[in-house]
Amino acid sequence: MGGLILVKTAHIEADEVEPTPGSAWLIGVAAWFVPGLGHGLLMKWPRALLMGGAVWLCFFIGLSMGGHMFDLNAPEGSSQILQVPPMIANLGTGALYIISWLLGHGFTDDPQQAARATYEYGNTFLLIAGLLNYLTMLDAFDIAAGRKS
Amino acid sequence: MTLFAALASIVFGAMGKETTRERWLYGVKVFAEFMVIGLALSWLLYFIP
Repeated sequence: MGGLILVKTAHIEADEVEPTPGSAWLIGVAAWFVPGLGHGLLMKWPRALLMGGAVWLCFFIGLSMGGHMFDLNAPEGSSQILQVPPMIANLGTGALYIISWLLGHGFTDDPQQAARATYEYGNTFLLIAGLLNYLTMLDAFDIAAGRKS
Repeated sequence: MTLFAALASIVFGAMGKETTRERWLYGVKVFAEFMVIGLALSWLLYFIP
């Protein structure tokens, strides 16, 4: 057995991962807090107007339809844990949610408001406004981090 | 539903693709999908008691 066995080892080099710049995190927070601000700070004005505008419009349409936003105060007979997922969605609108919460606007459990034909549509618009702003925030973060243009 | 589809497709279209033309096409496609699926589901549920 004079054979020679050659073993070829593949050396796999890990791709270098560039660290995310601190400014990207700040842009992300700004994009969450004020819908459209993240793209505005990045001078992406058309996107700021389109994406931020869609979130603002969605939010105010939801409020005008008599929609209800969620916080941790569960109505009687309901579990507090069920309030958390829609609250996270609503919280996506950042300052809009916080200001409404401070003013107590859109949080009251009013049976007259709930009886409106557009109540559920309003709820949906308010939830979607927050979720769309999370997408907007991630887009602004990716642009600021140099992962997309 | 139309308003909802329009607002959602604006955001999806704006962040979806690389070029402006691709973004427009993607936005229109998402809008059409929302509308078609929404109407189809509405009619389906209309016949289900």
